[in-house]
Amino acid sequence: MPRRKRREGEQRTSFYLFLAPWIIGFLLFQLLPIGWGFWTSLTNRMAFSVNLRFVGLANYLKLVQDPEILYAFQTTFLYALLHTCLAIVTGLFGALLLEREVPARGVFRTILYFPYMIPVIAVGWIFRIFLDRDTGFFNVVLLKLHLIPSAVAWLADFPLGSIVSLAIWQSGWSLIIFLGGLSTIPTELYEVSTIDGANYFRRFRHIALPLLSPFILFQFVSSMIYAMQTFIQSFILNPRPLRGEMLFVSPPPRETFFVMAKGFFEVTGKNRFAYGLSLLWMLFLVVLLITIIFIRLGGFVVYTEVEEKR
Amino acid sequence: MQRSQRRKKAVFTALKLLLLVAMVVIFFLPLVSMVITSLKTREELFVVPPVVFPRVAQWVNYVLAWTMVRFGKFLVNSVVLSLFYTLPCVMSSCFAGYAFSRFQIREARGVFLLVLATMMIPYMVTVVPLYLIITKIGLTDKRWLWLLFGLQGAPFLIFLFRQYFSTIPLSFEESARLDGAGRFQIFFYIMFPLVQTAVIIAAIFAFQWSWADFLQPTLFLRGEKLTLAVKLARGYVDQKESLLYHVGMAGLLYYTLPIVVLFFALQRRFISGLLAGGLKG
Repeated sequence: MPRRKRREGEQRTSFYLFLAPWIIGFLLFQLLPIGWGFWTSLTNRMAFSVNLRFVGLANYLKLVQDPEILYAFQTTFLYALLHTCLAIVTGLFGALLLEREVPARGVFRTILYFPYMIPVIAVGWIFRIFLDRDTGFFNVVLLKLHLIPSAVAWLADFPLGSIVSLAIWQSGWSLIIFLGGLSTIPTELYEVSTIDGANYFRRFRHIALPLLSPFILFQFVSSMIYAMQTFIQSFILNPRPLRGEMLFVSPPPRETFFVMAKGFFEVTGKNRFAYGLSLLWMLFLVVLLITIIFIRLGGFVVYTEVEEKR
Repeated sequence: MQRSQRRKKAVFTALKLLLLVAMVVIFFLPLVSMVITSLKTREELFVVPPVVFPRVAQWVNYVLAWTMVRFGKFLVNSVVLSLFYTLPCVMSSCFAGYAFSRFQIREARGVFLLVLATMMIPYMVTVVPLYLIITKIGLTDKRWLWLLFGLQGAPFLIFLFRQYFSTIPLSFEESARLDGAGRFQIFFYIMFPLVQTAVIIAAIFAFQWSWADFLQPTLFLRGEKLTLAVKLARGYVDQKESLLYHVGMAGLLYYTLPIVVLFFALQRRFISGLLAGGLKG
């Protein structure tokens, strides 16, 4: 017995030794700032406050009563949902096309994944120019194909849609997740079903989709978390300023003034630290809530093998 | 019967191929627009209806993109900062992944859930207060901070390393331990070389993150030390602050190129490594 205990003690020492860098990083750069941030959000702190006061939940009450803030949360959620669903559909579509013997599979896989690696600033600028009404390539192509009667001002008239379109282009990550998921499906299942006379769509509906569902849930939740934090795109794809200095200073259109963008704006633009921080904290809570809700909901939809194993 | 089935399969493959090619073409459009714009003259930018191809390719834009903003300096800044972040981030994630895959102690599962839970913390919720703290203690404009930022690793990379380490049989270590190797010797001489693929994947991700990061350099650094991400986010402008799209696109091409080269040089190992190790389970 004592020997076993010593073994466990040794294991514990090793565990924490190897985890030490992460623990230090976590305490210093996550826990400490979050705690400090929460405390600050309960004060009236500005950039250079002279009489710093504790104001309790006043900032939060102000936020909840501000219709613009509530609208920002609404539009952020809508954006995240659209972003997530479109990226999942595009990624799943690509993964199904690349699932089995296709010529040049690796090349296609690399090309479809590749836009995901392009830094977000470059992507924002590429699309700002691509979607421009008068000079953008997108309108040229659509006009040539006679899909639209006249040039559309995508950035000004469809600000939300414009930013969502980046999600389709950068869906490479979900492509990889779903390719990984599809590769875990045993081929025998497909063979048996083909012998039983199931066609492609039935095979997809009854074999691939249920077995992929945990991957879809994972991708859904992590993509929602990620998309709720979008902010640079709002500024770069803001159609109004044509002058560089105004780009991060002038507020984006209402539809794309996401919570994060508002937080960034409050803190760096207006130096309202406490107010901005309480906004960010509220976003944190909303993200937490959404994650829990979707994981719970997902529990009903996702197919698990537990019952079969029993 | 068999023949018709084979034909059916051929049609199916052709259809898939067609859809794939269509997807690739659509995916390439924004990039084509980027390259073409970077070769236009300033007048050609604003002609309506738009000029699809510039009359004479303006390679001078690529020279301007380099000279207008002291590109070389900011490039060096970006590289330094990204390396400062990548190194500790990969190491720390690797250590943590090893800890979670090898040491079965009671609280390990709980701690692992904590690591995964940190994924839910919005980036700004930690970075903005950190900015206040760092300004308060007078550490603005210090690049070595990135060496510390890397320590927190990344939940996804920790997960990836855990998966990779879990595939290595325990017997490897047992025999080394019997030979009298200590735990760090075992880790560095036996385990670490075995997860090379994961190290490459993690390094690419970490490098890409910090290369693309806009917020932290904006908040923590000042003029001389700013990175390409911060400089290029505002675009290229002339004296009157009007945006120069053509030069901007050339600059962004430069900025994207290192990531693209890194990715394509290692993509075979990168993607198959991701598929093999990271995503199962």
